[in-house]
Amino acid sequence: MYTFIAKRLAVAVPTLLILIIFSFVLMFAAPGGPFTNERPLPAAVMDNINARYGLDQPYWKQMYDYVYNVVFRFDFGPSFQYRDRTVNDVIAQGFPVTLTYGAWSALVALVVGVSLGIVAALRQNTWLDYLAVGITIGAQALPNFVMAPVLVLIFTLWLGWLPGGGWNGGQWNHVILPVIALSTSYMASIARIMRSSMLEVMNSNFIRTALAKGLPMRRVVMRHALKPALLPVISYLGPAVVGMITGSVVIDVAFSTGGIGQFFVNSAFNRDYAVIMGITILVGALTILFNLLVDVLYAWVDPKIRY
Amino acid sequence: MISQSDAKLLNDTAALADVRGRSLWEDARRRFFRNKAAVAGLFVLIAITLFAVFGSYFAKYEADFVDFSLMGANAYQGVPSFSSGHYFGTDIDGRDLFARTVQGTGISLLVGIVGSLVAVIVGTLYGATAGYVGGRTDGTMMRIVDILMSIPFMFVLILMLVIFGRSILMLFIGIGLISWLDMSRIARGQTLTIKNKEFVEAAVATGVSPFTIVLRHIIPNLLGIVIVYATLLVPQMIIFESFISYLGLGVQEPNTSLGALINAGANQMSNGTLWMLLYPLAFFLVTLFAFFFVGDGLRDSLDPKDR
Repeated sequence: MYTFIAKRLAVAVPTLLILIIFSFVLMFAAPGGPFTNERPLPAAVMDNINARYGLDQPYWKQMYDYVYNVVFRFDFGPSFQYRDRTVNDVIAQGFPVTLTYGAWSALVALVVGVSLGIVAALRQNTWLDYLAVGITIGAQALPNFVMAPVLVLIFTLWLGWLPGGGWNGGQWNHVILPVIALSTSYMASIARIMRSSMLEVMNSNFIRTALAKGLPMRRVVMRHALKPALLPVISYLGPAVVGMITGSVVIDVAFSTGGIGQFFVNSAFNRDYAVIMGITILVGALTILFNLLVDVLYAWVDPKIRY
Repeated sequence: MISQSDAKLLNDTAALADVRGRSLWEDARRRFFRNKAAVAGLFVLIAITLFAVFGSYFAKYEADFVDFSLMGANAYQGVPSFSSGHYFGTDIDGRDLFARTVQGTGISLLVGIVGSLVAVIVGTLYGATAGYVGGRTDGTMMRIVDILMSIPFMFVLILMLVIFGRSILMLFIGIGLISWLDMSRIARGQTLTIKNKEFVEAAVATGVSPFTIVLRHIIPNLLGIVIVYATLLVPQMIIFESFISYLGLGVQEPNTSLGALINAGANQMSNGTLWMLLYPLAFFLVTLFAFFFVGDGLRDSLDPKDR
């Protein structure tokens, strides 16, 4: 188990380094610096600015400093756009918001998806099953950037139940729509995976034995069938969490929730390389971390896997 | 002289000789056309393609013609109507939404098809080579795919769009960079089973070069599964492009795509001009559903193992 984790880490760390270096090289390939204006600044001012942001150093030194600061001090440097703030400030402001609705979305997708999948499998070929399958197919073609405006249309404009945007310190009624928009398609995928794996497990021999012994259905499902049926769902969790982090960009734009996605897109329009790179690297690290966690979880749950 | 009855007999025998066994492709086609949802999806796709190609001949206005008299008066003067020639109404800038939807559908389809073509060409070649050569080469090539897959590409692509400027070409490059990864894994897995078949052995024994074996013997046998995944990849690529265009980072004015139109419509939702959202949204959803149905139908007919 430990060698397995060590092996995965041995891949994860270089991947992250490659990502950091790649984004840094991209930044240097960019035509024009972040302070190139239509009206050029006086040379002395330009020199001062370059010195402040370390842009007067040779490239290798800048790269070394950047990587060193990111890896050992978790410091992404100053933002180019928000002159008095660092990238860390920006992340510290946006990330808790993203984390809040992201975690809720993951929870909702998992709980609703798994329950829906189990119900559909246990009531196979009844109206409940068809309803569940219908929902999953419908939700598959509704990516979050389509869900978001449709939800606002229905719940804000037509029904007037929920606010169509803003965060308001994470008040519950501001969280609901983002969570629904973000979690629906993943909920659908989880339900579909859960349904097919549950069907497979329920038809296997050990379940027939358990039922033949006279165990109640409820106990068979919860104690015997649930764990093996969850395995494919666990392996889907990695891509799902990554997709939710990516989807947060859309949620922030659609609902003005003020998460890191909003800063990311704003910076993209304002060529604030420092913030873009910082967020890209943060998301990359999260992605790699989650994939690692999911792999470890999978190896831990599945008795057939031994490393 | 051949008598009339002899000639008839001769014709009949010739007709009999024409009866051939059913090939695997013939079987697949039969299975596909028996699937009503898939056939319906195919017809819808053909209709949408025709709409995207020839729709501009039916539009009364150019896609980039701005009707200044409508600006600011959209809510009551730009309403969809046949008498004004704006079948789908006008957008916020007073442009004809019908022409814009034609243009957007075309670009979305183009992005989807280019993305999946790149996947087919690069992914298949890469995967088949890795699988056929095997050993250390295979390990290295697939490890590269693993590493690339664990990078949050949406963010890296946005970083690239910011740095090299937002253009369709950049979008194609970005999509091309990502789309082939899954395909290469699928192609490799299939190659591993194919390469031990007798006909490959025969080719090796007769001294065919490895490159020719991959091109002439392996890849044709991968085609079935490759076509299935390519079809399922098209809607994914359309979603991907729309995601980026929704954020305003993808296709730029005066060009447009369904994602950009959906975003523009969603921004105007509260002004009582719902058609700006609903027409592009309807085209987007119908296209996606059609591709899903066709893809599922193809999978059922070409990939009997999966049924």
